[in-house]
Amino acid sequence: MSPEPNEQPRLRAIDGGADDRSDEDLLDEVARGSRDAFDQLYDRYGGQVYGVVRKVLRDPARSEEVTQEIFVEIWRTATKFDRERGSASTWIFTMAHRRAIDRVRSVQSSRDRDERIGHENRVRPFDEVSEEVETRLEHRQVRAALDELTDLQREAVELAYYGGYTYREVAELLGSPLGTIKTRIRDGLIRLRDALGVTA
Amino acid sequence: MTADVHTLTGAYALDALPEDERRDFERHLADCEACRREVEEFRATAAHLASAGHEEPPAGLKERVMAEVDTIRQDPPPTVVEMPKRPMTQRLLTVAAVILAIAAIGLGVTVAGLNDRVEELETASAQMAEIMAAPDAETVALETEVGGVAQFVYSRSQGEAVFLAKGLPTLSEDEVYELWLIGADGPVPAGLFRPGERGATSQLLAGGVGSAQAVAVTVEPAGGSDQPTTEPIVVLEVPTA
Repeated sequence: MSPEPNEQPRLRAIDGGADDRSDEDLLDEVARGSRDAFDQLYDRYGGQVYGVVRKVLRDPARSEEVTQEIFVEIWRTATKFDRERGSASTWIFTMAHRRAIDRVRSVQSSRDRDERIGHENRVRPFDEVSEEVETRLEHRQVRAALDELTDLQREAVELAYYGGYTYREVAELLGSPLGTIKTRIRDGLIRLRDALGVTA
Repeated sequence: MTADVHTLTGAYALDALPEDERRDFERHLADCEACRREVEEFRATAAHLASAGHEEPPAGLKERVMAEVDTIRQDPPPTVVEMPKRPMTQRLLTVAAVILAIAAIGLGVTVAGLNDRVEELETASAQMAEIMAAPDAETVALETEVGGVAQFVYSRSQGEAVFLAKGLPTLSEDEVYELWLIGADGPVPAGLFRPGERGATSQLLAGGVGSAQAVAVTVEPAGGSDQPTTEPIVVLEVPTA
């Protein structure tokens, strides 16, 4: 039924350095139960996944827990990865971000529902989020692309993605109408997509 | 849907829609090729935003992850739904013609994020977990006609199956979802359910699967029906050996 695990030894550089398997190849091997490929995938993505989870959740202990859940989910569901439908990194980060957001929302829903959005305990000032993003962003290309956006586009995208806010909360934080925020997020992503040369 | 709904692609791709709007938008996605493509592009864009922020993971995390996956069985890959090959009675042919037409539509609609949502489905009781963990467990998943995802996990050795769904619309008080096993004698009732939080449900199929060739879901008046009174919202074919 399922193919044999692909555990053939591969030629490596003499210095034991770079593994030239693509991320997609690794995921396919993980799907066939390869612990070695999973180990390699963790080395490639562990820091980035933890980084994005930390941005959204902030709390280190909770971020660690969620990162572990994400990697276990990658292991469990690698069988469902389909490279025809997107890259390994998109698949991994989509899952990772979703998990982090689910955690944010479940924590929120267990709080008082009537708590106002503007309550100080709940709202992280934009400057704080922005500053954090600023200092942690490593890819200059991404930073440069973000800089190409209008202030409102960039703020809306960053608050939604890194801040983990719904677009309604973003509208509240930025004091803009809902419709404006919806379109700014979309416009911002269109510009980022084009600046980064992303194709689905 | 108004033209306005298309602008939600961005917020959706960033996981920035409140849960109810997210469900509604996923229903829209099923019918909107342009939005699906845009969501895929935006997700790939968002992945760049994620990949830009590397942070050293805590020491020991990798070891804990590796230790945990040693105890986790991997999900079976999704299997392709094929046309039934066995001879069928005239009656079943009529039913099958309808359901396969609908299934074909379902297949054509490969919704972005389908996998993600299917993955989240698996929260079930111990008995269901046993079926799903059976070495021969097979899974069929489809987007339903009304939004959400339905999944059918079948263990031939145990003769039992679990039906899972997520993102199903809430029904009015006087309606209920009804499961059907469709075999040579036509549809047989296989249980009623009302989805819970986030339109999710997990149902052990009453009485096992027997010789049924497909599992279907319809919306029926409260209390259920003996025979389907509406078009199925999803039809999942029982995997053949």
